[in-house]
Amino acid sequence: YNIVMRCWARKGCLQHIDELFSVLESVGLRPSLDSYAAALQCTGRNQSSPEAIWRYLEQLKSDGFHVDELFQKCLFEEDEKEKILRAIRTVLPNYQLPPPPKPQTCKSTLLQDFYSKEKVVSYPKLDFSVEELQERFQQQLEMELNNTITIESVEAAKPPTPQAVKARELLGTLRSQWHDAVLQALQKSKHSMAKARALSKYNMLYPYLCLLPDEEYVGIMLQVLNTLSPQGESLAVLARELSNKVYSRYITHRKLRSHQLEKLQGVYEDYIHLLAKDSQPDQYLPREYWEKLVAEAGFGSSLTLKDCSWPYAVLMRLGMHMLELLVKAVTVPRNLLNPRLESKSIPVLYHVYSYQNMWQVGLIKPHPIFSQIVTDAAETTLTFHSSAMPMLCPPVPWTSPHFGAFVVNDTKLMRFVDGDIQHQLLLEQCPPVNLHPVLDALTQLGNCAWKINQPVLDIIISIFNDKGNEQLDIPPPLSEAPKPPTAPGHSSTWSKSLKRELLLCKKKAAEMHSLRMDALYKLSIANYVRDKVFWFPHNMDFRGRTYPCPPYFNHLGNDVTRAILLFAEGRPLGPRGLDWLKIHLINLTGLKKKNALQERLEYANEIMEEILDSADHPITGRKWWMNTDEPWQALACCMEIAKASRSPDPAAYISHFPVHQDGSCNGLQHYAALGRDLIGALSVNLMPCSVPQDVYSAVAQQVEEFRKKDAERGVKIAQGLQGFISRKVVTCLCASLPWVLALSSASFAVPLPDPSLCLWSVQEYLWEASHYLVRQVFNSIKEMFSATRDIQHWLTESAKLISQSGRTVEWVTPLGLPIVQPYYRFKSTVVRCHWGGAAATVLGHPEKAQSSPEEKPDTVKQKNAFPPNFIHSLDSTHMMLTALHCFRQGLTFVSVHDCYWTHALTVDIMNQICRQQFVALHSEKILQDLSEFMLEKYCSPNTETIAAWQKKLMEQLSNVPRTGEFNLKQVMDSTYFFS
Amino acid sequence: GPGILTQTLLNAGIRVVALESNLAYLPNLQSLENSLDGQLKVIYGDFCRLDPLVTGTLKPPAVCSEKLFETMGVAAVPWRADVPLRIFGIMPHTLERNRLWRLLFGLYECNSIYRYGRVELNLFISEKEYMVLRAKPGEAWAYQALTVLAQIGYEIELLHKEPWSSFATDLKNGSLAIPKCKWLPNDHLCLVRLTPQQNLFTGGLKPTNATTFIFMVKQCLAKPTSRLSARLNSWSLDNGGKLLKALEIPENAAMRDLYPEDYRRLFEALQNSSMFTETWFYDEVLETVRTINL
Repeated sequence: YNIVMRCWARKGCLQHIDELFSVLESVGLRPSLDSYAAALQCTGRNQSSPEAIWRYLEQLKSDGFHVDELFQKCLFEEDEKEKILRAIRTVLPNYQLPPPPKPQTCKSTLLQDFYSKEKVVSYPKLDFSVEELQERFQQQLEMELNNTITIESVEAAKPPTPQAVKARELLGTLRSQWHDAVLQALQKSKHSMAKARALSKYNMLYPYLCLLPDEEYVGIMLQVLNTLSPQGESLAVLARELSNKVYSRYITHRKLRSHQLEKLQGVYEDYIHLLAKDSQPDQYLPREYWEKLVAEAGFGSSLTLKDCSWPYAVLMRLGMHMLELLVKAVTVPRNLLNPRLESKSIPVLYHVYSYQNMWQVGLIKPHPIFSQIVTDAAETTLTFHSSAMPMLCPPVPWTSPHFGAFVVNDTKLMRFVDGDIQHQLLLEQCPPVNLHPVLDALTQLGNCAWKINQPVLDIIISIFNDKGNEQLDIPPPLSEAPKPPTAPGHSSTWSKSLKRELLLCKKKAAEMHSLRMDALYKLSIANYVRDKVFWFPHNMDFRGRTYPCPPYFNHLGNDVTRAILLFAEGRPLGPRGLDWLKIHLINLTGLKKKNALQERLEYANEIMEEILDSADHPITGRKWWMNTDEPWQALACCMEIAKASRSPDPAAYISHFPVHQDGSCNGLQHYAALGRDLIGALSVNLMPCSVPQDVYSAVAQQVEEFRKKDAERGVKIAQGLQGFISRKVVTCLCASLPWVLALSSASFAVPLPDPSLCLWSVQEYLWEASHYLVRQVFNSIKEMFSATRDIQHWLTESAKLISQSGRTVEWVTPLGLPIVQPYYRFKSTVVRCHWGGAAATVLGHPEKAQSSPEEKPDTVKQKNAFPPNFIHSLDSTHMMLTALHCFRQGLTFVSVHDCYWTHALTVDIMNQICRQQFVALHSEKILQDLSEFMLEKYCSPNTETIAAWQKKLMEQLSNVPRTGEFNLKQVMDSTYFFS
Repeated sequence: GPGILTQTLLNAGIRVVALESNLAYLPNLQSLENSLDGQLKVIYGDFCRLDPLVTGTLKPPAVCSEKLFETMGVAAVPWRADVPLRIFGIMPHTLERNRLWRLLFGLYECNSIYRYGRVELNLFISEKEYMVLRAKPGEAWAYQALTVLAQIGYEIELLHKEPWSSFATDLKNGSLAIPKCKWLPNDHLCLVRLTPQQNLFTGGLKPTNATTFIFMVKQCLAKPTSRLSARLNSWSLDNGGKLLKALEIPENAAMRDLYPEDYRRLFEALQNSSMFTETWFYDEVLETVRTINL
């Protein structure tokens, strides 16, 4: 109703708005503030009589609103605000706009000194002038307004073959034909929709096809052809991709039309003064300064648009319709590659079903003829959405769950699956001040400026463009793929083993293709920004773990990507910096893990000759760097050490190199700290020790003890496993245990021990043996981390009872971020299409899960995921606290979850802050607070009688596990806590 | 189980080879074997885990058909010859549909038990699966790809129907753990005889191209209400209209309305027009079959 009212208001038709108000009443709805804003806007626009204005103002008051609220709570576009004010001043000539709300300060005890205004601190500035930053902002704005950006791929360095030139020409001709055909099809379908008299599922799409110029729809559709892999893509995924592109394009148009961008540009240009080196303001946080500027900017459009997201079903339907047009319109002559065939147009895309575990999945695949032309053409340009590129100017600071990061592209503070709006609702209901710490932490992570390590990038590209190298994680090109077998006759008549071999070849080629493309994207983007300074805006997942928004190239990537990234800002190494670089290098090699820092440093000095050789002759020398855990980062580090050690004064050498400090088993560290578990704390380095402790070795020791006992008792498997239990095996198994998986943040690992490690040549005992081992590992961990186990159990049981009562598990992190677990029993939506009988069954989240009673939480997922999610919410809190306090001390800081990066100069300060914040975080009564929050949330009696399940839940939630004897303060002196 | 089926067969004076997958039942069966003077042979094995797809050494009770037939002393006979062996069994409820599919793939490719000729199956299956096997064109829900392939591959006879109520249960509430079926009746256990058709491989269909046929039928009946002509178009066939005319299939026929024999004729016609070798179709078959059967 409000949307329609607003449209009438813009046209100045008060009569229609009056009608809509009476319709509202007749269906039993009450007008909201936005309804009144629309009505008043209209009266202001058509200069209605004072009576009409009075009528609405009176009704507004009688509905319990206040006039001031219009300006405090509503979002405006274009001149809406001015028009409303004009209407009000017609009847109340002295009316003054309410003053902007006073900035509130976060009250969290963890951040008391961070937000305190008593000690004025100046924050670090970027090494750019105002003018330079404004220029970069213009570049970024232009890129985002273009929506996509086409760049040269790193393969462009090679000259094209004559065959490629020919294929490219052919592709060019085809594309212009397809463009015309798709445009025609689109116009035809729009025409037939417009003609229909009655609204149907089909023509309800009409308005969505009129939002952009036809050319833009065509452009979006034709992009599918450029990116579709020969293996095809699921119908639903493609449809969603298409409609999301239309949506984001529409939002850009709307921002332009409402003059929102103009205003944003003005605010950003002022905001830049906070960051630039040659300007005044400095005692503001970026968000605070932005908010101040927005408040001062006064009239005009609001910077956030009214929420206008499209329903999931509409998105699917629109995408399917566009796909249908594409499949029907895009054709190619059948005899293009084989002139002997008779000429006939055949579709380039076809639609088949694939069966995966008895599921029927609709796929869109390109015709082999088309794939062949694309392969032949080997085109060397890549087109990306502008949000896939790093930003060329500092990101817009986060000021609300909807606003921040990119300039034009809408970015959500919290990532979530399409159609799942739980988090969004929760964040909106949360008082803004509670989100400040999270917003500020994300802004700070995004404000770190980066540049490219060009020498390393050049070496990587030269290997990539040559033959690749699987050992060094540079994916080889398809020309290196295994050759498929050849045999006489058509493959349909081949023997089964030959067919199998052919399939294996195809599978390998498909895998190689996807790895190669991934690397191509990353390297090409890196190459594109090689001379630039750039930024990665950040957002987070529902647990508060932070991620850079650009998906391909960022510092969370693999060894190769991390090795080509440097801080744009340089800092002198200082007295300890060179030592830290050396220790960092040894950490990257994976050697000397059990040795003290001093020993690692000594080892680095011992092998200095190898390090310098690697730096000077990476490809032609002795190649020491190639045999390390993280070869490319090790090489980059070798080069940095070489440069620093050869400079006249290493302490004054300006280094851009990020040095990492890793939490050892960070998940277990949080558990051990929560439970104050003595043995646990010792084994995960919460206690000071002369050498690093290794939890896996400790577990292995315990398992070996159990095994010995069993072997003595004559257990056959235990006897067979003699001499087999090592740290490596236990690490493998730990990672495969769901319970431990929850504890360690390890990713997926080998589910069974490597058969080659096994004593038996016969593999048939493998299953029993690994079963036995898993059991023993489990028992060992239970024995060692007793309080941890209790906490784990308590969390799981609580989540189970909550979920069984029909609610989802929610909690609030110590920084005030509200979290809800988004696991529901799926409901599927079927979207029907008029073409080839295609229908896509889409697993969709409920639109509004809480309001509809039939949506039930998925108990198994809610329960099993709660402990790891809770721990992740704590590790993200620890990271954010460290980030904010590092910012206060003027450090450059970024993180890859539990791995913290800073300059070599500031490693010591960062380490200290990291420990302080860990102690501070766990000094809060985390479990007690969680228990109280949940009791309040799930057990507040709304009736006199308390149901049995409620009583049980109350008992469970109140029964917080007891903790052990560990003295948390000891973390302060533990060298290997993060190292 | 308690061996009712085995006992009945023995009482009828038939020579029986019993596959027992549960070690607990083996000793009793073996003593019975010793007392019967060659009428009964007992093998530790599981018919549902015959020729498993995984590679590597087989672990009992999984069995390999080659070994099994050797132990039974049954030799392969030509396809058109008489039934070389009759198999009796009760299909477990779990994965019933998958097991039927595996049997069908074996049949069409002349693999596994069907390498030895037209082995006859006498299986107790749930009523809902029987309803699918015997469905007629046009029957919503029941007429599926499985129907078409089963009716072309087998002669299907219903031998007996027993209501679920005849069976004992160990559930507390006294009901049976029978999967509910929303669209089809499922109140009985059905004894069904599946005899491979003697004329299965006359005409264009052969064990080497049968997977293409299976693929074609599955793709067609993925959406039973869609039109055949639309499907042919989406496969980039050039003269779909002409083909349909030659086969005397109406232009607007829906997939669900075609008789199994129509699918066979369609396949043979397409095979002759060499459409499979010319387009992407064959690659697709290869890939799909891998996920199901290789």
